[in-house]
Amino acid sequence: MFNQFGSTAETLSKASAAVLRIGTDAHLYDDPEDVSIAPLLDSKFESEKCEALKRLLALIAQGFDVSNFFPQVVKNVASQSSEVKKLVYLYLLHYAEKRPNEALLSINYFQKDLGDPNPLVRAWALRTMAGIRLHVIAPLALAAVGKCARDPAVYVRKCAANALPKLHDLRLDEHAPAIEELVGILLNDHSPGVVGAAAAAFTSICPNNFELIGKNYKKLCQILPDVEEWGQILLIGTLLRYVVARHGLVRESLMLSLHGLESNGFYEKDGDKSDSFDANLVSLVSKCYIEGPDEYLSRSNCVDTVAASFDSKETTSVGDNEDVKILLQCTSPLLWSNNSAVVLAAAGVQWIMAPLEDVKKIVKPLLFLLRSSTASKYVVLCNILVFAKAVPSLFAPHFEDFFICSSDAYQVKAHKLEMLSLIATTSSISSILREFEDYIKDPDRIFAADTVAAIGLCAKRLPKIPTTCLNGLLALVRQESFAGDLESVEGEAGVLVQAVMSIQTIIERDPLSHEKVIIQLFRSLDSVKVAAARATIIWMVGVYCSLGHIIPRMLTTITKYLAWSFKSEASETKLQILNTAAKVLISAEVEDFQMLRRIVLYVFELGECDLNYDVRDRTRFLKKMLSYKLACHEPAEDSVASQESIAAQVVEHVFGRKLNPFSPLNLHNRFYLPGSLSQIVLHAAPGYEPLPKPCSFVFEEHDQLSDSDRQREARNDLNGSQESSETVDEDGSSEYDSESYNGSEFSSDGDERNDANDAADPLIQISDVAVSTDPEELRSKMALDLWLDEESSTSNQTPSALDRNQSSYAKISIGDVGSRVKPKSYTLLDPGNGSGLKIDYTFLSEVSTASPLHVCVEVLFQNSSKEPIVEVNLEDEEAMKVSDSAEQTLVGKANASYNNVPTLIPMEELSCLEPGQSAKRLIQVRFHHHLLPMRLNLHYNGKKVPVKLRPDLGYLVIPYSITVEEFLATESRLPGMFEYSRRCAFTDHVKDTRMENGKDKFLSICESITLKVLSNSNLHLVSVDLPVANTLEDATGLRLRFSSKILSSEIPLLISITVEGKCNEDLNLTVKINCEETVFGLNLLNRIANFMVETSSSAS
Amino acid sequence: MLQCIFLLSDSGEVMLEKQLTGHRVDRSICAWFWDQADSFKSFPVIASPTHYLFQIVRDGITFLACTQVEMPPLMAIEFLCRVADVLSDYLGGLNEDLVKDNFIIVYELLDEMIDNGFPLTTEPNILREMIAPPNLVSKMLSVVTGNASNVSDTLPSGTGSCVPWRPTDPKYSSNEVYVDLVEEMDAIVNRDGELVKCEIYGQVQMSSQLTGFPDLTLSFANPSVLEDMRFHPCVRFRPWESHQILSFVPPDGQFKLMSYRVKKLKNTPLYVKPQITSDSGACRVSVLVGIRSDPEKTIESITLSFQLPHCVSSADLSSNHGTVTILSNKTCTWTIGRIPSDKTPCLSGTLALETGLERLHVYPTFKVGFKIMGIALSGLRIEKLDLKTIPPRLYKGFRAQTRAGEFDVRL
Repeated sequence: MFNQFGSTAETLSKASAAVLRIGTDAHLYDDPEDVSIAPLLDSKFESEKCEALKRLLALIAQGFDVSNFFPQVVKNVASQSSEVKKLVYLYLLHYAEKRPNEALLSINYFQKDLGDPNPLVRAWALRTMAGIRLHVIAPLALAAVGKCARDPAVYVRKCAANALPKLHDLRLDEHAPAIEELVGILLNDHSPGVVGAAAAAFTSICPNNFELIGKNYKKLCQILPDVEEWGQILLIGTLLRYVVARHGLVRESLMLSLHGLESNGFYEKDGDKSDSFDANLVSLVSKCYIEGPDEYLSRSNCVDTVAASFDSKETTSVGDNEDVKILLQCTSPLLWSNNSAVVLAAAGVQWIMAPLEDVKKIVKPLLFLLRSSTASKYVVLCNILVFAKAVPSLFAPHFEDFFICSSDAYQVKAHKLEMLSLIATTSSISSILREFEDYIKDPDRIFAADTVAAIGLCAKRLPKIPTTCLNGLLALVRQESFAGDLESVEGEAGVLVQAVMSIQTIIERDPLSHEKVIIQLFRSLDSVKVAAARATIIWMVGVYCSLGHIIPRMLTTITKYLAWSFKSEASETKLQILNTAAKVLISAEVEDFQMLRRIVLYVFELGECDLNYDVRDRTRFLKKMLSYKLACHEPAEDSVASQESIAAQVVEHVFGRKLNPFSPLNLHNRFYLPGSLSQIVLHAAPGYEPLPKPCSFVFEEHDQLSDSDRQREARNDLNGSQESSETVDEDGSSEYDSESYNGSEFSSDGDERNDANDAADPLIQISDVAVSTDPEELRSKMALDLWLDEESSTSNQTPSALDRNQSSYAKISIGDVGSRVKPKSYTLLDPGNGSGLKIDYTFLSEVSTASPLHVCVEVLFQNSSKEPIVEVNLEDEEAMKVSDSAEQTLVGKANASYNNVPTLIPMEELSCLEPGQSAKRLIQVRFHHHLLPMRLNLHYNGKKVPVKLRPDLGYLVIPYSITVEEFLATESRLPGMFEYSRRCAFTDHVKDTRMENGKDKFLSICESITLKVLSNSNLHLVSVDLPVANTLEDATGLRLRFSSKILSSEIPLLISITVEGKCNEDLNLTVKINCEETVFGLNLLNRIANFMVETSSSAS
Repeated sequence: MLQCIFLLSDSGEVMLEKQLTGHRVDRSICAWFWDQADSFKSFPVIASPTHYLFQIVRDGITFLACTQVEMPPLMAIEFLCRVADVLSDYLGGLNEDLVKDNFIIVYELLDEMIDNGFPLTTEPNILREMIAPPNLVSKMLSVVTGNASNVSDTLPSGTGSCVPWRPTDPKYSSNEVYVDLVEEMDAIVNRDGELVKCEIYGQVQMSSQLTGFPDLTLSFANPSVLEDMRFHPCVRFRPWESHQILSFVPPDGQFKLMSYRVKKLKNTPLYVKPQITSDSGACRVSVLVGIRSDPEKTIESITLSFQLPHCVSSADLSSNHGTVTILSNKTCTWTIGRIPSDKTPCLSGTLALETGLERLHVYPTFKVGFKIMGIALSGLRIEKLDLKTIPPRLYKGFRAQTRAGEFDVRL
């Protein structure tokens, strides 16, 4: 019956618990898989999607791998519900690295969200996009961050700053300057929230790029108190590093306080010098702050080097250095911050930079930190300990703050004890010792043992107090030896051992005056049962056996007692008995010698039969060494025989040596910057950087560089605003359209080109068919909407008649440019590597006959050796046939219809190449990826050499001849995230204009730009616009338009180049690309910007 | 920067993991952590073979954060503390069930609070606007309608302003601002009955519901008693440096304006006189508690707790007032409540030591708890609270209370 009641009660309590959990996500966490998740994800109701995602997150939380749902989840990224979006983002970030291909599908949604009017949506999109961390989308993400860095919403800019380290993590060397530039822009932001995040980005991306800080130093200092607490922590560190690198350490500071200490009145009145200040240690600390691990390791063991001084040039003074003053001023109120980490960081700055007399102000704030959570308390104590080691007097008056509460964790207690023993002064020691007495009675015996050790340390530091300590300790030894009987009380033995050790440390300083204490200890041997404590006392017998008057007389008795107890001892005690016996024998006086000799022989005999082999070994060793003593009958005899005297000397050296009091300070301690992780774990954590070398950074103040930088930034901003408004400014200004040219006609072999065009036309149509017949495949590879957006515009409707018409017109106007187009050639094989065979290759603008995906490459073979080279050929490396699927996705429309065409259509083999002879061959190549090189095998003279054929982005497009109207229409369809621009300088025209004075300047600029573009890429020149209102000298507003299609996917790609600047000077170009295939577009943009900057040799 | 945050239950089960950077941390690190010896495990900063771990333990839940690179350890620990604060605020406490039941909210909060291992939004008032805390209404709504999003669609206005802790334009029909002085007394009485240390750790807590953009100034009658202080980010440093005046634009709702310390107090309101005599394996204990200096307000909820030493095998304790409980882990708690007017509360009884032990050689420490409403024992007094522009219908209120912090009486 009761059973029934019991079960009812149980169900009742279960039911009540269930009621409490109603409405929470409890059931989802408990049984995330009780329904099938996949259909829910495809549901059309947001709530069901939401539930499915929650179930997935529950599985993630419990450590299951649910990455197989990735494709279904990604689809939901388009959801309008913010909760679904958030959950999808959480899921995406967790798995994106595992499933890079599917993650790419989401990119377009992020792009769309980045243009959303709601800043929260923009911020989320940016965070997630950067968080996905895929190399292929890095350029996109970088462009997005660049845009968001100029966003009107502070929150979005802050997220942009946070996104930078994510991109930096991908180790994109080519983007590093761009990332650093963005850091600089964000550091210059006027909102404190952004600056904080930017400081964090700075620390993780380019902690040593002090130029960025130098530009804004004063502003950063002023904004520091308003920055968010987390940003403050890192910004403080950054500013400190900058000031040290720029101005060096401060002369009046603690770090350089080795000289002239007496004059500044730092000392407390009652403290003596050694008490208030450890100059050696301080200089060691400051040295450690600055030197890296290499220097630390190479530093010689010699203590003197510690005192190495800093060059006076590398120091500065608070009085005359404005920067240092500002730093100290802006960090000192932060000592009142609510955030412990900020307080500690600010204290670190004051500690290193503040003048000696000001360092005191860090004490109270640091002590206040001790009233926080256990974890922070521990970290703060670790740091305070270092401060106190260097300057005990700082904390000495506040010893009460280190008294131990019962609720402190063990580590905190241990640190507080160390602290107390460090800062004890003659005036405070009595209160501290009274506290210690209390602690000894604490139920935590390990803590009590530590206290006893701390007493020893105190007594060692303050030589005046030992008597009180010793009496207490001896009483403790007596008391403990009774309590020690009880084996069950754990830790009790530790207290006793520590007590004996502490007594030993005190005695060590002045053994003679503590003779009675030693004797008392020897007497207590009988009652002390703990092996380690006994061993220590027995060791002391050996060490002090010839001390004073009484001990030598007791020796025989003690030795007899030891011999008697030998067989019942623990082995560590046995070892000490053996040692002590040896020592006693050596120092024995004449009258006791015979007696002692027999006792020692007895002990050795026992030792030789011991069960423990260590004991047996030790016995044999000692017996051998002391054989001369054991054999003789008078102690004085050993000085007679010379051969025995060597043995005697050895023995004397081993046993008779006086104890060297070891230095209390371990000078080889390593110190790390205050507040760092390394200081807590006591090794240099990865990424730990010491302070920069003083004055290692030279900042050119108010020079042209910084001015021009500012200008550039201003212009960038201007440009940014133009971009964001997305207006086509030519509509507003009055410009006249010039003729349009067909760029392809500029090539010297115009006829061939036309032929190729004709030949290519049917092929293009085939490819269109292929596109439309195989939509399913496309859908899986490209995002759906992208595909839809593409429309029919890609299909080539341009009538070839129009093409011809335009091209003939072009020939007339600037036909001479065509002859000057020299495609750039690249080296495939160096004559040095190829035993005289030199191979260059040039991309041709022709369209391949094999398939539209192939590129024609002209390969030039030259024999520069003395021997003929035979059987030269190039072949595709087999391995490349198995290509990565990720790359396939990117190339996108590598259609199945061309899969049977080999990636390399080989050239005709060169049977023989005579010395000095050169030959041209044509190969056709299909690149798997627009950035990755193609691996080829070169055969010649029967050898096989692997070579890499690098794609030139400029030739992975084909000219796409359209009219200006079509160009503008296409451009307007590709706004926002499909549009990228970059600025670059252009100088080629300068030579040009100087050379031909009579020529129209605009024409020559147009010519040289066109020449440059067409020499490096395969584009179609659509139009050249000139602003009418311009003066003759000002080329600003000149605009060139080029169009092309991506070879692999036939997606149109539009390029506009806008010129800015004076005709006779260097021009600034803004290159803008509109393309749906954003990755390709960005890469091509970078390529164009790069080659525009190169000064071409062909222009001369 | 932080790479991962784990939430562990008190049995070592990983309840939640949140990866923060691309270098993901396998959860096997938690198993490693949990298997360590207790003495090692309790360190707040641990160098494991693969990662550096930071941990805080709050109400049985271990918050474990991992990193592989140098970062300020206090930053990690402070952040974890902040997470724990926010979670217990949201969930109304912290325990294994609450975390599991609301794991989605925990995930969403963590995602807002930290981005790429660097804290993003930690201001509780702003977080509340971004992610709605679970309450009865939303729970019922989710039961009835099946969907109730707790994720806000819009960005809280505070994130953009120069005072990120405050929404830009809150509106209230009645404007209220309350100031609370909450003080904790830390004291140590040593075995000789001497007061070794006595100090106050206090907080100025505020609750403000003010329309618009109020600018407040708060001044103390005797700021000189303050030994040291720490401020909420909203407090301007300049006025304090020059005139010891707190000038600030308050966050909306409840917050901690400042904390302060007053050292070297002369007296505790209570005295505790413990005595122990031990002889031949048995101890006699007697503890007297009484009012030392009358604070003119009632001292409430007085408790006394102590840990019986290991060597005590059994205890027989009784009191003439209040209740005594001894838990299985040898924690003894004496709940007194208020001190009666007619007698002095006294705890007395005997402890039996383990066999073989004659006398007690270790002594417990008594932890004292009390609460006094309506008084700040530090003597700190608020002079006035001014608003630059006084809104209509303004209510101002002041309160004070003192309770025991680390109040140790050693025997």
